[in-house]
Amino acid sequence: MAASPPRPLGPAQIRALGVLLVAAQLPLVVHLPVWVAAFGLFLAGLRFALLRRDERLARLRPARIPSWALALFAVAIALALRKSYGYFVGRDPCVAFLFVLAGIKFLEIRTTRDGTLLACLAMFVALTPFFYSQSLLGALAMLPAIVAAGVALEALAVRDPGAAGPSIRAAWTRSASLVAQGLPIAAGLFLVFPRLATPLWGLPADHAARSGLSDRMAPGSISELSLSDAVAFRVSFDGPPPRPEDRYWRGPVLSLFNGREWSALPPRPGGSLARGDRTIRYTVTLEPDDHRWLFALDLPSSLPAIEADSSVNAPKVGSLARDLQLVARAPVTQPLRYVQESVLGDRHPAASAGELRIDARMPPSNPRAVAFAQSLRSRYPNDREYIGAVLRWFRDQPFHYTLQPPLLEDHPVDAFLFDTRRGFCEHFASAFVVLLRAAGIPARVVTGYQGGEINPRGGYMIVRQSDAHAWAEAVVDGQWQRFDPTAVVAPSRIERGLYGSVPASDPVPLFARGDTGWINHVQLALDAINYRWRRNVIEFDHDRQRALWRDWGVDRFPPWQAAMAVTAAVLAWAVAVFATFAVRRRRGERTARLWSALCRRLARAGLPRPPWEGPIAYAGRAAQRWPQFAIAFDAIGSAYAMLRFGPVSEDERSALVATLARAIEVLPSPASLRATAHS
Amino acid sequence: MPWTARLRQRAFRSQPADRAPVILRHSRIYILPSRRGLAIIATLVLMLLTSLNYALSLGLALTFFLGGLAAAALLHTFRNLAGLEIKPLAAGDAFAGEPLAFSVALAAGALARRAIELRAAGATASVSLASHATQAIELRVPTTTRGRIALGRITLSSDQPLGLWRGFAYVHFPLAGVVFPAPELNAPPPPAGAEGLGELAAGANTESDLAGLQDYRPGDPLQRVAWKAVARGAGWFSKAFEGSGGRGAVELAYRSLPAALTAEERLARLSAWVLACERAARPFALALPGVHLPAALSREHLHEALTALALFDAGES
Repeated sequence: MAASPPRPLGPAQIRALGVLLVAAQLPLVVHLPVWVAAFGLFLAGLRFALLRRDERLARLRPARIPSWALALFAVAIALALRKSYGYFVGRDPCVAFLFVLAGIKFLEIRTTRDGTLLACLAMFVALTPFFYSQSLLGALAMLPAIVAAGVALEALAVRDPGAAGPSIRAAWTRSASLVAQGLPIAAGLFLVFPRLATPLWGLPADHAARSGLSDRMAPGSISELSLSDAVAFRVSFDGPPPRPEDRYWRGPVLSLFNGREWSALPPRPGGSLARGDRTIRYTVTLEPDDHRWLFALDLPSSLPAIEADSSVNAPKVGSLARDLQLVARAPVTQPLRYVQESVLGDRHPAASAGELRIDARMPPSNPRAVAFAQSLRSRYPNDREYIGAVLRWFRDQPFHYTLQPPLLEDHPVDAFLFDTRRGFCEHFASAFVVLLRAAGIPARVVTGYQGGEINPRGGYMIVRQSDAHAWAEAVVDGQWQRFDPTAVVAPSRIERGLYGSVPASDPVPLFARGDTGWINHVQLALDAINYRWRRNVIEFDHDRQRALWRDWGVDRFPPWQAAMAVTAAVLAWAVAVFATFAVRRRRGERTARLWSALCRRLARAGLPRPPWEGPIAYAGRAAQRWPQFAIAFDAIGSAYAMLRFGPVSEDERSALVATLARAIEVLPSPASLRATAHS
Repeated sequence: MPWTARLRQRAFRSQPADRAPVILRHSRIYILPSRRGLAIIATLVLMLLTSLNYALSLGLALTFFLGGLAAAALLHTFRNLAGLEIKPLAAGDAFAGEPLAFSVALAAGALARRAIELRAAGATASVSLASHATQAIELRVPTTTRGRIALGRITLSSDQPLGLWRGFAYVHFPLAGVVFPAPELNAPPPPAGAEGLGELAAGANTESDLAGLQDYRPGDPLQRVAWKAVARGAGWFSKAFEGSGGRGAVELAYRSLPAALTAEERLARLSAWVLACERAARPFALALPGVHLPAALSREHLHEALTALALFDAGES
C-alpha cells in the first residue's frame, strides 16, 4: 500500500467534498427536526463562505476554527438532541447527530485524510433517509450523492491540488460515466446478494409512534386517527373488489374494558380459519406501523402467505389468533406484502362459554347505561330482539355522527348516551357493547378499517388511516355476529365513506373527501407509481429473493456452478467495459491511420518524410512544393501536431480529427500532385 | 532456475532480467486497495450490514451503486497502466553524494495516461501522458558511496481515477550508473610534471603563470580557451601558460600516496587530483594496482580515469 503522508487539501477538493456532503444531507432534511436540518446545512454553508473569503483575500493561512471549539460544539449538539428527543441512544437522535457531525467535520477538514473520513461519513449519511422513507422520490434523491461521491473521490486523488483540474462539468460527466459502468455490478448485486430473513442485531425500539390502530381504544382515539391521510395499506384483488358494505378490514379485537378504555387481550394462538363459498383472494401491501396486526377482510380463511402459492408449506408471515386476528411474526417495521384469502361473512362460531366470560365482564362504571340496559332487557328477554331494540334506539334517538365529539369526563358511555349524543364510531361501538354486556350478552369491540378507495390507474384499493373504524361483535345463538351501530346512525358512512357522513364543517382530510378534482387525479396517479415501486423494488426481501432464485433454478445448481456463473458474469462485465474503451481508442487510431496514409501519398508524389521530421516541418515542406495547397498542408500539420503532442479535450479531439480528414480529402491524387510539383 | 525462483522472478522481478522495451500487460500489473480504498470499503461494508439488518432495499441499492462505482474505478486503474511501454534510456554518472540520474522513456500507447508514478532506489517521478506521447523521465537517485550503482527495480504505479485502488507493476532493467569517489576537499596540489616525477610541486599555481594568448588551434584543450576574448568577439584564442607545455605528463600513482591514508582517502585524493589536472589542462597518467592508464588529456581519458577510481577494488591493494 502506498503509505503516502496526508497532503493539504486545495480549495477545489474542499468544494467537491462539500458538494458531496450537501448532496448526501439534503434528502435527509425532511426527516429531521427543523433546527437540526437548518443547523447542519448552515455549517456546510459556513465553510463555503470561509473558503470564498480566504480566496478573495488571498490568505496564505486559511481561516480556522480551533478543534477544541468544534469538539465542545459536538458535545453541545449531543446534549441538545438528548433534550429534543428525550433520549440519545436510539436511531433517530443518532441519525440527527451524524448529520450535524458531518457538518462539523466539514468545517475543519485540512488534509486528504480528513477528506477521506468526510467522504465516508457523507456516504453513510446518504443511507440514513431510507430509515424513514423508501419512496421513489427518495431513490431519485440519492442519485446526485452517488455521482458527487465519484467527483469528490476523483478530486481527492489529484496529486497537485494547486494545478487547474478538469472543468466541473467534465468531472461530473466522468463520474456519471463511471457510475453507469458500475451499474451492471450494482444491479447484479441487488438481485443476488443474499438478504437476511431475520435481523443480525435487535432493532432498537422506535420511540416515535407511527399513526395506526393500536391495541387500546379510548374515546377520541379513532377520530384522531381519521384525521390522517396516510395510507394504511393497499390491496389488489384477484377478482372484482368486494362491495362497500363487505369492506370490513379486521384488526385488533378489544375485549377488556375498564369503564373508559378498551384494550386487547394478548393474542392467543389457535384461531380456526373460516369456511364458506364467498371466497375472495387478494394481496395486501401493509405500510409499516410497528405493530403486529395484519389486516384481512372479515373473515380470514387462510394464513397470510408470502406468495400466491397455494401449497401448504408456502412460507407464512403470520398466524391466526383465537379471536380471528392475524398476527405477524414480528412488528411490521418495513412495508410488508402478503397474499390473503377471506370468506365474506359477518358471523363465525363462538368458543366455549368459559372463554366468553371475558367478553361479558362489566366493570362497575357507567351506572346510567347499566340501568337503562337492564330496564330494556326486562322488555326483551330474547337476545336477538334485545339487540334489535338497542339498534332501533340508536336510530330513533337524536345521535350525531361527527369527527369532533365533545370531550367526555368520567363515565364516558353514560355521558355519550344520555347527554352529548355526538360521537364517532368508537363512541357508538363502545356504548353498544356496554349496553349488551350490561344485559349479559357477550360482546366485544372490533377495530380495523372500513372502506377503501379503488385507484382506477392501478386497479387496486387504497385504505387510509381516515378509513379507521370500530364496530362490535356479539354472541347470538352460539355465533359471533357483527353489528355496526355507526351504520345505523349514519348509513352513508358505510356506503360512501367518511366524507359523506360527517357534517361539512368537520376537518375531513383531503383525500378522504372523495372527488376533489385534479388534485385527486394527480394523487391517485402518483400513488399508482409508488405502489408498483413498492411491490417491485422495496419489497424485494429475503423471501422474494429466494422465490426469484427458485424461478431461475439457482437452488438446483451446486455452489461451484453458481460461483462460476458469477465469475463469468463479472468477466463479461469487464470485457464490455473494456470494449467501450476500445471504441474510444479507435478514434485515436484513426489519427495515426490518416497521417500514415498522407505520408505514403506524398512519398509517391515525390516527397517522402524522413523518420526524424516532425509534422509541422514536413507539412511546411509540402506547402513549399505545392503552394496551391499550402492552406490544406498548414491545417494538416498543425491538426496532426495538436492531436499527437498537444493536450486536447475529447471535444477538441473529434473536431481536430475531422479537420485532418477534410484537409487530406482536398488533396488530389499522387500522380497529379507529382505533375503540379513546384520545385 | 528452479521453478520457485522462476515464480519469484515473475512475481517480484528481483533480477534485472527485463530487456527493453517492456509493455505492461495483465501478467505484470497488480492491483490492491489503497488506504483510502480500504476506508471506503469498510464504510460500504458498514452500509451493507445496516441495510441488511433493517431490510432497507434502497440502502442496499445505494451501497451497490457505490460498489459498482468502485468496481468500475478498478478497471480504469488497470487500464491506466495496461499497454504502457517503458524502456531504459541511459544511466549517468555522478560523484558520491550527488544524485545519479537515470533516464527511462515512457510511451503512452493509444491511451492517455494519468499520474503514473515511478519509484526506484529512493527516487520518485510522476508523469501524465497524452495518448501516443512519449516522454523521457529522469530518476535522480541519491548516492553515498562510489562504485557501480544499479537503478534496481522500478515500480510503476497509479491510483487514478478515484484513488481507491493502487495498480502497480515491477520492471527491472539491467541499468547501472557509475558513482565516482567524491574528490577530497582542500586536497594538496597534484605532483609536478615529468621532470619532477614523484615529487610534489609545492605551491605550483598554474593560474598565476599566464604567459599570454596564442591563436586557438583545433585540439587545444577547452579549459585553455580564452572565453572572455571569445565573448568580446575578439576571436578564438588559447591561453598559454609559463612552462605548461614543458612540464609534461603527471603520473598519479595510488602507491606513492602517504601510507597513512586509507584506501578511500587515497581514491578521494586521486579523484581531486584528476580533476585538478583536467582543470589545469595537464596530461596525466593514472596508476592503480592492476590498472594503468597512460598519460593523456581528454574528456574520454578523464571519464576513464574516474571510472577506474570508482570501480577500483580496494581489497586488492
